[in-house]
Amino acid sequence: MKKSVLLGGLFAATCFAVTANTASADMLDDIIASGTLRCAVVLDFPPMGMRDANNNPEGFDVDYCNDLAKALGVKAEIVETPFPERIPALMGGRVDVGVASTSDTLERAKTVGFSIPYYAFENAVVGNDKAGMKTWEDMKGKTVGATAGTYEAIWMEGKIKEWGTGEFRPYQTQADVFLALSQGQIEATVSTVEVAEANVKSGKFPGIAIVDKAPMVPDYVGLFTMRQEYGLINYLNLFVNQQVRTGRYAELYKKWVGEGKPADLSISGVYR
Amino acid sequence: MFSYTFQWNQALARLPQMLEGAVVTMEVAILSMVLGIIFAITLTGFRLSGNKFLNGIAVTWVEIARNTPALFQIYMAHFGVASFGIHFSPFTSLLIGITFNNAGYLAENFRGALKAIPDTQTRAARSLGMPAIMAFNNVILPQMLRISFLPMSNQMVWAVLMTSLGVTVGMNYDLYGVTQDLNALTFRTFELFAIAAVIFYIIVKIINFGARLIAARLFRY
Repeated sequence: MKKSVLLGGLFAATCFAVTANTASADMLDDIIASGTLRCAVVLDFPPMGMRDANNNPEGFDVDYCNDLAKALGVKAEIVETPFPERIPALMGGRVDVGVASTSDTLERAKTVGFSIPYYAFENAVVGNDKAGMKTWEDMKGKTVGATAGTYEAIWMEGKIKEWGTGEFRPYQTQADVFLALSQGQIEATVSTVEVAEANVKSGKFPGIAIVDKAPMVPDYVGLFTMRQEYGLINYLNLFVNQQVRTGRYAELYKKWVGEGKPADLSISGVYR
Repeated sequence: MFSYTFQWNQALARLPQMLEGAVVTMEVAILSMVLGIIFAITLTGFRLSGNKFLNGIAVTWVEIARNTPALFQIYMAHFGVASFGIHFSPFTSLLIGITFNNAGYLAENFRGALKAIPDTQTRAARSLGMPAIMAFNNVILPQMLRISFLPMSNQMVWAVLMTSLGVTVGMNYDLYGVTQDLNALTFRTFELFAIAAVIFYIIVKIINFGARLIAARLFRY
């Protein structure tokens, strides 16, 4: 009798220990245990994400993911994810973290959990030469376009609604936007200064030029993961902080974007 | 592993916008069907004409329409023709792409239907003194449309579903375009696309039901 009680107790304790152990394992634990960090990266968004001549992923976001994996002591796996598929990829468990230049809007933060900003974009208006634009306000009444689902697309669509004139067209890829702009299908687009300069310089899209800076609040982008994974989000926040602190942020900026100072990621006058 | 909390009220608040998109989707589908039938009948005429040039046009059209992806056809109607300086709005490009596709498939349906109508009918009509055109229009065409009516409703369903390809040419106010826009805005991917799927499903059901009603009315022997 006594023995069986003892055995039963032991058995129950073991069960409890096992379940307790699995219950407490969060995503951070899972990543460390699996030995692989899977990052969603958009590879149609130079210089943040693209492919080199051998079709291997490269860019700021790719390096950022590699750094994060190194910090965690695991292997990095880049999962190519077009802009609209970032959330399905995360929710379906195909990726652990998004390193995908994702603007941290309040609307989106209701669905996913964002880290503190790890990069900030300034945006430029790029016009077709035939449209004869001088300032960003010349976009009024024009047919404009941008990559669907991006911060600048949301901003432009809002402007068009505010002006009550003109037309907005979202395209699926950045390449399609610039093709349409070069063909004159759209007369202007707004994209990050980095992307705009790269595309104008590439010579692949004749007849376009940077017109003006877009008067937008800098587009702060954060890493993202499951909203409830506080442990991981905490780690991501510290990681972003360390990247800036150690000078790696400036180093990556110089490597992928060019000379000059990367954007300030802090906002004066408020805590985050 | 799928840990996602569905927040239906967030997505359902956008339902009116999505229904407006569904109306546009229906517009595109219906227009492309009407135009597609007209073109398909013309193509069928070309094939029957015995003229080598006209027959060539019809064969080429059907071959391209049936053997390349609809996505390619729509993309070409936007970016392809633009490299020749012709600019169509996303709506027009989508309409042209789907119409082209519809016409190709329908022409093939019509050909099959014609095969099911015995030659003797034409001969009988001609021997009654009808001119060739009249024999075709009054005897063969009605039967052809009747035989191919159900495949036609099938193509209509296909046309509705193909409108979702409009996003590749910048279409953002049809059902799929609206859904994708809202997805980018809110990240409520699963709710929004589930709602879109249900709307598509209902549209298709309505088409099938309508086709059956029409068939029952028109084709009573």
